[in-house]
Amino acid sequence: MDELNVARVFPPAEIGNPVERLAILFDGHYDRLYRLARRLTASADDALDLVQETFLKAARYPKAIPSGFTKEEAWLVRVLINIRRDQWRKTSTRSRFEATASGTGLLEPANGDVEGALIARFSVWRALDGLSPRRRAIVVMRELEGIAIPAIASLLGISQITVRWHLSMGRRDLSTALKAYLEE
Amino acid sequence: MKSITELLRDADPLANESRTYSEQRDYRRKIILAAASRTRDRAVAEPTSRITLLVTLGFVVVVVLFLAERMWSPLVSNVYAAPVRFEVKLAEEKPAAGLLEAKVSGTDRSVYLHPEAIVTNSNISRAYIIQVDHSSKYSVGVEFNPSGTEKIGAATARHIGKPVAVLLDGQVVMAPIIRAQIGESAVITGDFSRTEAEKIVKGITTTR
Repeated sequence: MDELNVARVFPPAEIGNPVERLAILFDGHYDRLYRLARRLTASADDALDLVQETFLKAARYPKAIPSGFTKEEAWLVRVLINIRRDQWRKTSTRSRFEATASGTGLLEPANGDVEGALIARFSVWRALDGLSPRRRAIVVMRELEGIAIPAIASLLGISQITVRWHLSMGRRDLSTALKAYLEE
Repeated sequence: MKSITELLRDADPLANESRTYSEQRDYRRKIILAAASRTRDRAVAEPTSRITLLVTLGFVVVVVLFLAERMWSPLVSNVYAAPVRFEVKLAEEKPAAGLLEAKVSGTDRSVYLHPEAIVTNSNISRAYIIQVDHSSKYSVGVEFNPSGTEKIGAATARHIGKPVAVLLDGQVVMAPIIRAQIGESAVITGDFSRTEAEKIVKGITTTR
């Protein structure tokens, strides 16, 4: 039986010791949270810190975590996105200022394959950085994780219409920012 | 031309980073579980301190209430007097159909009340205490508003020579014989203490 199944067989609500419960939460949800965190942050270290912050919050408020694997996952994902949102709010103003001050917009597509691919990748992630964490998470879940819209809505605790709206706005913003690559 | 989805997949860091993070994962796991242990220790210690805090707070509240009652009882009774229901009803000395027997407080005398109240709290414009002959006994004076004056005047004019009952919270506190039509004011003579009189004054004007 792998760790994920252990978490499913023993719902955390039935485990009295909060440390044990957190260990099961960690083992059951860490990989999934890391994948999302990595796609929401600029580096692997930032992603590791973000996931750690999420579980530390779970450690501080063990009674706030609902029972059941799916509900736990949704709670953790929302906490993670909220933490990321706070970080993003603090840094986004500074980033916008720095981008304007340095006069650098998005990099132009390069002709060389390797160099071009790197620049394109950098441009994509820079464009993603412009999205709010919730919108970015929705785009990532739909486009990269292939999660259906109803499941995203359920996970984030919002309506499907809201998910569709964020998805539409996210795609529009990315299309604008990545126009040069889309017309390549 | 590439689509948004293709661009995102090409740039996906999980697809491009070969770095294994299992070591980091174990390290972070230890940090998080250590933090959870500390939280748990605090949670175990917390009930005792919380009980101590509650007991201390309770003790302080009791002491403050005790002191307040002793030092500021007139003030407290004035400000926080409970509402008092005030009614004036015509009464009879003898029983009859439709009348309700009631004892006059502090006496063996009974009167028989008419069911309807002539005036109530809503007919009082002002109430005040009256000290009886510089003694420790107090009465309560009331002034009726125009509507109350008209009602009690008309009712008592037809009831001269018979009793009228003054009720506080349903208790008949006095039932004097009407000698003349009652006008815009009246006095409730109940031999009240100052505190009682103040409570009545506050009470009968609070429920208006």
